Amino acid sequence: MNFKKASHASVIALILGMSFNSLAVEEGDDAPGFLLPAIQEGQPDISMAALEGKTVYVDFWASWCAPCLKSLPLYNEMYHKYKNQGFEIIAINVDNPVEDGLDFLIDTPLDFLIPSDPDGETAELFKVIGMPTSYLVTPKGKVELVHMGFRNGDMEIIEEAIEKVLAAN
Amino acid sequence: MKAKPSRSLLAISTTALALPGIAIADAPPVNSSLSYQVSNYKEDNLTREESPFGDLGRYDIDVHQFQFISPIGRNFSLQVDANYEDLSGASPWFTTLSPSGSPIVNLSGASGIEDSRSELSVGTRYYLENGSIGGNIGYSEENDYRATYGGISAERHFNNDLTTVSISLSYSSDDIFPTDAEIFNRVISEDKSSTSAAINISQIINQVSTFQTAFSITEQSGFLTDPYKLIDTRPDNKTQIAWSNSYRRYIRGSNAAWHVNYRFYHDDFGVTSHTADMSWHQNFGNTIQVIPMLRYYNQSAADFFTNVDDFSRPATDFQSSDYRLSAFGAISAGLTIKTTVGDWDATVTGERYLANEKYSAFSVSQPSAALVRYFRVSLGLDFSF
Amino acid sequence: MKPFRTLLLVTFSLSLLAACTQVRPWERGLLAREEMAWRTNALEGALNDHIFFSKEASSGGSNAAGGGCGCN
Repeated sequence: MNFKKASHASVIALILGMSFNSLAVEEGDDAPGFLLPAIQEGQPDISMAALEGKTVYVDFWASWCAPCLKSLPLYNEMYHKYKNQGFEIIAINVDNPVEDGLDFLIDTPLDFLIPSDPDGETAELFKVIGMPTSYLVTPKGKVELVHMGFRNGDMEIIEEAIEKVLAAN
Repeated sequence: MKAKPSRSLLAISTTALALPGIAIADAPPVNSSLSYQVSNYKEDNLTREESPFGDLGRYDIDVHQFQFISPIGRNFSLQVDANYEDLSGASPWFTTLSPSGSPIVNLSGASGIEDSRSELSVGTRYYLENGSIGGNIGYSEENDYRATYGGISAERHFNNDLTTVSISLSYSSDDIFPTDAEIFNRVISEDKSSTSAAINISQIINQVSTFQTAFSITEQSGFLTDPYKLIDTRPDNKTQIAWSNSYRRYIRGSNAAWHVNYRFYHDDFGVTSHTADMSWHQNFGNTIQVIPMLRYYNQSAADFFTNVDDFSRPATDFQSSDYRLSAFGAISAGLTIKTTVGDWDATVTGERYLANEKYSAFSVSQPSAALVRYFRVSLGLDFSF
Repeated sequence: MKPFRTLLLVTFSLSLLAACTQVRPWERGLLAREEMAWRTNALEGALNDHIFFSKEASSGGSNAAGGGCGCN
């Protein structure tokens, strides 16, 4: 009895897992809108809507995700490189408790927008499949690039896509 | 007389087994790391009751382990392992019956044997979107033994990375050329080979627990006997299976993790064994971790084990008084303290191991007189860059 | 071999699978902790495998046997 119940549950979990995958936000889709509090207290809320007309790089990160921590200082440099051309970064922190994310930021100051999404509601909206995942959004709100993970040589790939979007708009 | 040839110390870090859980999408390691560990383990002397004649001192072994892991480019990782072992002491040569009818051990006559073993292995791994494949080759050499080995493995994630399945295959070709072969009428040169396959399935259960099950089968053929025993004859092939299960659980309230493992083993020499161990990984802030460990092991005897050598039997009959083939149980307890400072990790470990026929859950008809007890201490250093 | 004990272990393993929940990628912070790895110290694990193998009759289970196997 136990065996049968267990195998049914496993099959359902597998099917659900597969269907979850197929609803992911892909290149060419419209980027979902969101409104999130900033991770730092006293800072204003952050939303995609407020950045209309800008090229936005949305990145999901956490303090426990090693490739994320490697990418963030590099993203800071990237932000300063392109911000005068209408480029913004929104790095959504999914740490729960939020303090873990704040602790990391004490040692590594970052100059772009950092909202906090501890319950993962916006990550769910974007159907994030792995950590980290980032989305390059054009000024018209379309997803130009979905980038999963962060490995050596990824900065070239990302910057190439950013320059392409900035040139086209 | 020296130790039997030793098994590879290869620390297989590039398989699902040693990757930090399955929480992050598959990718080469983010940083490079260099690790070193130095250890000493010393077996307790035999008692006069166990060995009325000759030396009582057993093995005293120093081990040095080095490991280097690094990402290479975007999709590859490299791993290099080097080990060096220094051994001195004596091992059981033959067992006879005391006047009172109990088995007694005679250690190898030489006043002190010295042997050292060196090993080097190199492995690489290629990472795809949903998994990875890898291979490694290695070589080990000591004054009476040489081994060349290699393996390949592949793993894939399923079900939103909740499930990982990995398969691996390995092969080893070994040569044995015992020291003082002519003087002691030993075999001059023999060889053996070993082929092994394993499948491993790991699963994320919920936000704080994971489970893993693995099954392996190994086939050995060639010279499987211990050439340093006065009389010892074993079959020239051996098939063994092992089934391991592991559970990891994080305890939120305690800021600690609990590890428990169980392995079932059986081979066609007739040995069946159960191994159960657990450890508690307790954090103190972000700097110190204290890890107590407990292990219980018990095995049945091989079909041809005899605790007293029978010199009247023909040399072609299978028999061995090697304590490793007797029925016994073993309990070991250890403690590791680990500190993390910046990019450095340092660990110190102490462990005490006691084998005793009384600890066995299997029936013991012939207890060995040479069961081992030892104490190990290890110091480790790890640098990430 | 005890068939009943084997069946019990297999059933236990499968029922653990049934207890599995969907753990989203952003919910894996605790699983990513160092102390939640299968092997928290690769060198220590390899050393123990080597020592136990040289003092007991058993080996294997978690991965295909590495080489240099002086199983005599």
